[in-house]
Amino acid sequence: MAVATAAIEPETRARRRHPKAGIAYVVLGIALAAAALAVVGPGRETTFALDRTIGDAQWTVPTRTTVTVLALLAALAGGWLLAGMRRGLYRLVSTIALAALVIGLITWAVARPGVVFPVEAVLAGSLFLSLPFIFGALSGVVCERSGVINIGIEGQFLMGAFAGVFVANIADNPYAGMLGAMIAGALSTMLLALLATKYQVNQVVVGVILNLLALGFTGFMYDQLKTTGGYNSPYGVASNALDGIGLGFLSGIPVVGPVLFDQNIFVYIGLFLVFAIWFALFHTRWGLRTRSVGEHPAAADSMGVNVNRLRFWNVTAAGLISGFGGAFFTIANSLAFNKNMTAGLGFVALAVMIVGRWNPLGALAGALIFGFTTQIADYLDAMGGSPVPGPFLQMLPYAVTLVVVAGLIGRAKAPAADGVPYNPGDQ
Amino acid sequence: MSAETEASSAGPPETDDGTEPRPPFMVMFGRYLTEANSVMVTVYSLLMAFVIGAILLIVSDDAVRGTWSYFFSRPTDALSASWDVVSSAYVSLFEGAVLNFNTLDRFAAGTADFGDILRPISETLTNATPLVLTGLAVGLAFRAGLFNIGAQGQLILGMLGALVIGFTIDAPAIVHLPLAVLAGAIAGAAFGAIPGLLKAQTGAHEVISSIMLNNIAALFLVWAISTEFLHSETRSELVTRPVNDSAVLPRLLGPLGAHLRVNAALLLAFAAAILVWWLLSRSTFGYRIRAVGFNEHASATAGMHIGRTYTTTMGVSGALAGLAGAALALGVGSGGVTTNTALEYGFDGITVALLGRANPGGIVAAALLFGALKAGALSAQPAVPVDISTLLQATIVLFIAAPALVKALLRLRTPRGGLVTLEAKGW
Repeated sequence: MAVATAAIEPETRARRRHPKAGIAYVVLGIALAAAALAVVGPGRETTFALDRTIGDAQWTVPTRTTVTVLALLAALAGGWLLAGMRRGLYRLVSTIALAALVIGLITWAVARPGVVFPVEAVLAGSLFLSLPFIFGALSGVVCERSGVINIGIEGQFLMGAFAGVFVANIADNPYAGMLGAMIAGALSTMLLALLATKYQVNQVVVGVILNLLALGFTGFMYDQLKTTGGYNSPYGVASNALDGIGLGFLSGIPVVGPVLFDQNIFVYIGLFLVFAIWFALFHTRWGLRTRSVGEHPAAADSMGVNVNRLRFWNVTAAGLISGFGGAFFTIANSLAFNKNMTAGLGFVALAVMIVGRWNPLGALAGALIFGFTTQIADYLDAMGGSPVPGPFLQMLPYAVTLVVVAGLIGRAKAPAADGVPYNPGDQ
Repeated sequence: MSAETEASSAGPPETDDGTEPRPPFMVMFGRYLTEANSVMVTVYSLLMAFVIGAILLIVSDDAVRGTWSYFFSRPTDALSASWDVVSSAYVSLFEGAVLNFNTLDRFAAGTADFGDILRPISETLTNATPLVLTGLAVGLAFRAGLFNIGAQGQLILGMLGALVIGFTIDAPAIVHLPLAVLAGAIAGAAFGAIPGLLKAQTGAHEVISSIMLNNIAALFLVWAISTEFLHSETRSELVTRPVNDSAVLPRLLGPLGAHLRVNAALLLAFAAAILVWWLLSRSTFGYRIRAVGFNEHASATAGMHIGRTYTTTMGVSGALAGLAGAALALGVGSGGVTTNTALEYGFDGITVALLGRANPGGIVAAALLFGALKAGALSAQPAVPVDISTLLQATIVLFIAAPALVKALLRLRTPRGGLVTLEAKGW
């Protein structure tokens, strides 16, 4: 037995095959290449531009050749996965294959005379549009790592979006609105925390009801304010946050500049929170306790951690984040509040959390993918003349969520005590 | 006062069976009132929700808020203004849902006919019809431990299915109508089975996948209405063709007045409630549903196919929601279906099922109550924000879902069997 394992182990460690992913990339790559060769005329060209920094830097490439080459690259990567490779390479090769397929499809989709694909605007927009997913998923991570399912992110978004505008109008200051959004979010999760810890109520059911409550409450207040007048004028924050502290010149760097250094303050707060929560969860005492409460509350209890108190405050604090994420919909976009303006994105954020495997860094990656999907769909929709009707493009984020959740959740593991109320007397 | 005479007529405690003496009726009744049993929790939830609604009506009204600012110098102003605003709102809800006193006066004066008096009731029943069906859809899934938030999407698909059969086929009503209704049920069932299948095959949580399918269905509806196949030939706005006369559901109170909209779908809904009752309590399939809902591991050990039960339960649940869609599509009469026809009936089904505690009888009662709320809110707007119905519904079911909270707030006693709560599973 020992001999056999010794004989097999070096081989498996050195090379590993990924037949499912490999076949998928090969088939998709060859199909895309064949389709491009068959359908795209030889004269068609695609133009990319660095629209924000060097306006006249444009590259025009022949569409058919580019798509074919990218598709074959994806197929090649798939072939490599089939043949087997060193263990650490799987993620890299898989990313390359997917990126090649996506870029190939975009190259094809925007190949029309007169259309210049604004690379920087799309990338910067992707980061901006990933914000609600970042905030929502972070809130979900904090809750679920402590063992409470927060399905009410959507409701916290709505409360935050409404309170943001409302408080900003009262105080005549968007920053006060951001604070108000956080408090509104925290108040709604405090209710969830209370019900989940003290009253041990089913968290999924309560989360869904809290969503409905937020929908009804904000809709009611919206109508009421509309008749009595006022309190719902849009407030925004300056788009280039770094200009104020003398770093505005950084935005001139091609690609990186517009994406990272010419953004709203929400972007910087979001990115800061991702790393702060990642650090706090995995490198501080609070993080260790939070994770232990989510994995094995009885063990944590026996070590002197007050399980329900920690859960209560963690869930309440998570509401600060999702409430702030709600302010994205109104204040970050300089929009007035509107009924149900979050349009289910709170649930997409929940899916992003699962994609990110309950890890803030993973959630960031997932959020960026969703932000990019949304941005591309928006861009193609606005460009017009697309063979795919607009509503189908708008379905894209939801469809991707569905595929990802179905494809990943079996393998992604939730914290063991997620959604299980803890009653110290039961143990 | 009358209760007291009733208590004395109940006679002295009888002890002939040798057990503890039976306390007088009033004591028993008082005990019942202060106990957190499911009936009293329901009653108190309703009362508390209406109190909270009243507080919100007062707080959100500018004029009334003004009178509270000098409460201590002239408290009568604030109290009477608050009373006025709350009572007028609730009275107009009642008038829109049950009986309009104005119409009664006009009837006495001879300027209104009997049909006018029945109108609020007809509106209540019209709104309750889809709620019974979506409530049954959510409730049935609940019994299998599944949380079907996707009733809205299933309803939309059912609406489209019934609509397509409703205007493409030319047949006598006796064949056409059942066929169109069946088409709605099948479309809803097919769409509803997807989250069940995904859960069975991949473990994807049905809450997320059905929410995503809701969004996809809503966008699909927008697209479908705009297609040449479905779009109205005579009108330019987003509205579909009307169904043929042979597929229109007959109105139950037609002879009494043209505006009494309640139609045969109400009977269909009641029949469905009876069918679901039979299914759950008398059939093998229902036994399997309840067994899986109680304990899936034990059911699997007993040889039941868990995944298949998930899929079929969600399918039947989707069929019920699809029937609600058919009722809407075939009930609108000469007008076609718009993006607004579905309202929020699917989401309201969640609150109906929770209030009805997933029992067919309870669901019918809950649907009548929420149908009345909806009819009242629709007729009372814009004086009262229409979202007050969502707000009240969510508040009611929040208390229903958290009986421990009601018990603690009102200091009720624990009933002998413990508190009744509804279960849905975590990830």
